[in-house]
Amino acid sequence: MAYFAHKDFFSDTGLYELVQRVMSGELTLSWYQPGTEPARCRPASAARGLTYADCNVGSYGYDAIPEFVRGKNSMAARGSLLWGTLPDIGYTVNRKSDVWSANVVALYEEAKTRRWAPAVDIPWSALAGSARPPVLEAATAQVCTVLEEIALVAMEAPGRWVYLINQEFLEVKSFLCGQMLDEARHVEVFRKRALTGGQGLKRASVPVEQALRELLAADTYPRTSLGINVVLGGLQVALFRHLAAIADNDADRRIFTLSLQDAARSVAYGVGALRCHLAAQPHQAHALCDHLLETEHTIAGVLGSPELCEPLIILSGGGLEAEQRGRGAARLRQWLRQTVDELFARLRHAGLGSYPQESRLPACFAAALAA
Amino acid sequence: MAYLSTRDFLDDKAYLDRWQYTLRTGELDLSWMNVATERIACRPQSPRRGLTFRDLDVGSYGFSEMPEIIRENRSFAPRGAAMPDGLPDAQADVNLKSEVWAYNVEGYYEEAMSRQWNATTDIPWAELAEIELPETIGKAYAQLLTFLTEVEMIATDVPAKWLGRLNADFFEVKNFIATQAMDEARHAEVFRKRALTTGFGLMCASPHNENNLKFLRDGDSFAEVSLGLHLQAEGMVLTLFRFSEFISPTEADKKLFRLVMQDEARHVGYGMQHLKWVIDHFPEKRETIHRYLDEAENFVFGAGYCTEVTEPFIILAGKGLKRENIAEGIRITRRFQLKQIEEYFERLTKCGLPERRERSKLARARELMQAALDTPVGS
Repeated sequence: MAYFAHKDFFSDTGLYELVQRVMSGELTLSWYQPGTEPARCRPASAARGLTYADCNVGSYGYDAIPEFVRGKNSMAARGSLLWGTLPDIGYTVNRKSDVWSANVVALYEEAKTRRWAPAVDIPWSALAGSARPPVLEAATAQVCTVLEEIALVAMEAPGRWVYLINQEFLEVKSFLCGQMLDEARHVEVFRKRALTGGQGLKRASVPVEQALRELLAADTYPRTSLGINVVLGGLQVALFRHLAAIADNDADRRIFTLSLQDAARSVAYGVGALRCHLAAQPHQAHALCDHLLETEHTIAGVLGSPELCEPLIILSGGGLEAEQRGRGAARLRQWLRQTVDELFARLRHAGLGSYPQESRLPACFAAALAA
Repeated sequence: MAYLSTRDFLDDKAYLDRWQYTLRTGELDLSWMNVATERIACRPQSPRRGLTFRDLDVGSYGFSEMPEIIRENRSFAPRGAAMPDGLPDAQADVNLKSEVWAYNVEGYYEEAMSRQWNATTDIPWAELAEIELPETIGKAYAQLLTFLTEVEMIATDVPAKWLGRLNADFFEVKNFIATQAMDEARHAEVFRKRALTTGFGLMCASPHNENNLKFLRDGDSFAEVSLGLHLQAEGMVLTLFRFSEFISPTEADKKLFRLVMQDEARHVGYGMQHLKWVIDHFPEKRETIHRYLDEAENFVFGAGYCTEVTEPFIILAGKGLKRENIAEGIRITRRFQLKQIEEYFERLTKCGLPERRERSKLARARELMQAALDTPVGS
């Protein structure tokens, strides 16, 4: 136990006296006139329900949160009356532009509306007795093994920060909870997919895990969000989109389409948070570019790992025959080009336009993509 | 950066050459294809229930065969996957199954995934916003809601703090934690929204309870934290939700509490099944558990200072501030408090800790409260 009460309440005569008085009918009513803002929020749209946007009023709203949250270090609800001695819970992220995004409230609402359950929302029985060639099942199982690794890390990232983020940023913390649930769902669905095809799990990937560990270990929340939401999230979006497009059965198509929906939210938040961060802290652009330049090799670590690259070629080409592999490699080259272009476009849009100019990725890919 | 990969992939010529060669030619190594992992094809045992984690409890992939000490996997490798040399150490602090495991944790996870409700749309907000509660009832209710929205997210922050510290092999537990985080975010949301629709807004924070939250947050081990949070704190909150449903001013509010109770029951279930697992497999941990509960119960007893929680309850239960309302409210509140403590000891007994009642100062306090129940209010 790291924290103890400041007294043994069982020996506290003052407590006994207070409880006696209250339970004899002598209410203190010390809380009855707090002086907080009255509020009667209503749904702007009855069909949409009561959103956090509808509750964005006065001192309760997220618009009222200052850039620097000072003197609020407990879990007291934003807008409630702070009184007495409130403990310092230990938050280390107390600056709005380090976490906020203009779209975070909408994304949280979307995460709730678009929830799905892998156990029942995927037609697993359609895979039973499937005549799918073993080599395609093996490739799918290998891709899913890597995707499960990625999801485990992507689930951990919000968990590492949510308890350190000031409770004033309730909407951001709620979004991060949604993100943890999304990635838990991905851990689940990719594991289930790998274990239904007759192949089992395949090989964990050293380059993928080394790369992910480095992204996860960023020192600050903005850098973590950049690495996990924008970079890794962008790779997830690209992967899921491609895998949904080349899926040859309903179950896989559904798995990757639904997963894409979730991953797109992470990217949207990451890009939005980056824009907000740079709008308030423009001097961080240089540092974040440097961070990207230091960590961009992790993209090569993930995409270049044989455990991901090879099964993608097999799935993209439809098999192991030479012609199929050639076709698969060509599709993957095109996909890589598009993926990197999208990453650069997102970063330019977010305010990191100088990064693509200095990046080593184009030179690396140029050799690989020239065919 | 707290961790650097063992190599800069863009500087590793051999790595890049191999990758570029693969992309240019389609020539594949394929060593991953024939790894010596178990070949299985899991199927849903119940088509209605779908494919669950229980259906995947097979061989080296399953949780039943998972050993007490996870010696081999310190990476992010999925349980049962082939693990080549060179995987990074994910720095998991918790590698003992008994620290985290609970009977039926996989069932709780699946239930959580299928029972996610939406605080935005599943409560009739438009209808509630038009209801004018009398000032006394409205303020008391807004104060109760303020307390509830304040405390709910400790059950997000605390498990999330531990999520990344658990070995990757315990992913069923990690996944359950993720669902709990979302459940609690939803609870904080629904109570906040309800307070902001009463016409009174939020009221007073609760300093003593904040200190209790810090006690929970700063636990030394996951097992300790789970005991305090899931079993003790959430157990008492579950009873509070049941009574809150009883004293709720509208039918929509009763529905609100039924929905949050559903989630809370899962969390308490996990806590109980975890404690049961620990007691069944490691009875030598009893004394440690008792010492932790000694302090946890100290905080519970100290909540007598929280007049900002007790008094609204009295007013809501008695439906007003007149003398006779307060007398009735106190009678109901005393029963609620007794019930809360009694159910706490019942849960501990069911988990294999029946001796807690004898040892606990809270149990003796309960006896005094029972005696007070027989004494008319005001005498």
